[in-house]
Amino acid sequence: MNSRQAREILMRYRPGVADDSDPELAQALEQAARDPELGRWFEHHRAFQNAVRDRFTQLSPPAGLKDKILAQYRPAEVVVWWQRPDFRTLAAAAAAAIVLLVGLAVFRDRPREDQSFLAFRNRIVRNAQRGYAMDITTTNLDEIRRYLAAHEASADYVLPGPLQQLPGDGGAVVRWQNRKVSMVCFDSGNHNDLYLFVARRSDLPDAPAAPEPEFSRIGKLTTASWSTGDKVYVLAGKGDEQFLRRYLR
Amino acid sequence: MTAQQEFELLVSRYYSTLYQFAFSLARNEGDACDLTQQTFYAWARKGHQLRDRSKAKTWLFTTLYREFLERKRRQLRFPHFELSAVDPDLPRISPATVNELDSAEVLRSLAQLDETFQAPLALFYLEDHSYKEIADILGIPLGTVKSRISRGITQLHEMLTRDNPNTPKKGTA
Repeated sequence: MNSRQAREILMRYRPGVADDSDPELAQALEQAARDPELGRWFEHHRAFQNAVRDRFTQLSPPAGLKDKILAQYRPAEVVVWWQRPDFRTLAAAAAAAIVLLVGLAVFRDRPREDQSFLAFRNRIVRNAQRGYAMDITTTNLDEIRRYLAAHEASADYVLPGPLQQLPGDGGAVVRWQNRKVSMVCFDSGNHNDLYLFVARRSDLPDAPAAPEPEFSRIGKLTTASWSTGDKVYVLAGKGDEQFLRRYLR
Repeated sequence: MTAQQEFELLVSRYYSTLYQFAFSLARNEGDACDLTQQTFYAWARKGHQLRDRSKAKTWLFTTLYREFLERKRRQLRFPHFELSAVDPDLPRISPATVNELDSAEVLRSLAQLDETFQAPLALFYLEDHSYKEIADILGIPLGTVKSRISRGITQLHEMLTRDNPNTPKKGTA
C-alpha cells in the first residue's frame, strides 16, 4: 500500500464505528504511524472530520416534531396469511384439518382442488391484497434473487426492462399447492407496490403460453400474465392496464 | 412489545438522525420534517412486513431516501436550482436552530456537493451506519459507497477551506 492509497482509506476513517475492523484500514493506520508526513496529514484530516461531523450532528429537529410523529400513529390492519401463524390461525388450521379429514373420508371420490392457472392467479393475487409478509426486505433486486435461489424457488426469471429499473421492496417464497412460487415486490413510487409472481411452467400447464401479456382484474389489482422459457409470470398492481403496460415494454 | 411500543421506541431512537439526514437531502426544515413524518407513517403502515426487526434502522433510512427520490422525481416540492441562483430563498433556520449557524454552513456546503455525494456523505457523518448499511440504504455497491464518500470528502474539504472567512454568510438567518 503506497501513501496515496493509505490516504484514500484514511480519509474514510471513523473511529468507533462498525467499519473500523476493516483490515485495509488497520494497515493504513499502521502506515500513518510509521510515515511522519502521512501521520501529519492524517492528524489534520481528523481535525477537519471531527469539526464537520460535530457541526452536522448539532442540527436539532424543531420542537414538537417528535410529538407530531407519535400522534400520527395508527396501528396497521394486518392480515398475514403465511409463515406467521398465531394462535387463532393455528386453531383455525386445526379445525380446517379436522373438517378436511372428515371431508376426505366422506367424499373420497370427489374431484381434486382446482389446479388451473386461473385458480393459481386468483389465489396469489387475492392473498397479496389481504396482507403479506416478505421474507427479505431490500431495495436490491440481486439480493432478492439470491435469496430466492438459496431457498430453491424460481430465481432465473427474466425481468422486463422497466421493472429492472425499479427499486425492489422485498421478496418471499410463497407456496401454492405445495409448490414454491417466487414473489418479488417492486416500489413503483408513490407507495404503490407491484408484485411479480414467478412459477414453473410445468406446474401450470394451462397458463398463457405466449410472451405477450394477458390482462385481468382481480379485486383492486390489475394483473398481467405471460410465459417465457420455462417460467410463468404474473405481475399485479394497483392501476389500470395502461399502468401495468408501462412496466412490461 | 406491542406494535405501538415498538413504534415509540423507534421514534425516540431515530427521529433525530432521520431528521438530520432528511435536512441534508431536502435542504429546508419544512420538507425535512415532512420526510421524517412520512417515514414513520410508512413504518406504521408497512413495518410489520419486516421479518428481521434488527434491520428496522436501515429500513427507516432506506424508506426516507426513497421517499425523497420519489418526490424529487416528481418535482413537486424539490425543484432543482443552482444554489447561487436562489440565495435569497435559501433555507430559513427556525429560532430553535438560530444559534447553530456553523451547522447550517456545513449543511449548506453539503448541499452544494455533487448530488451523488450528498446522501453517502450525510450518512457517513451521522456515524450511525456501517458502510454496508449505507450501501443497503442507497441501493448501490459497497465499493461505490466508499469511492463516493472519499470523493465527497475531498470536494467538501475544498469547498470549506477555499471559503474566504471574511465573506459574509448568506441565507442562514
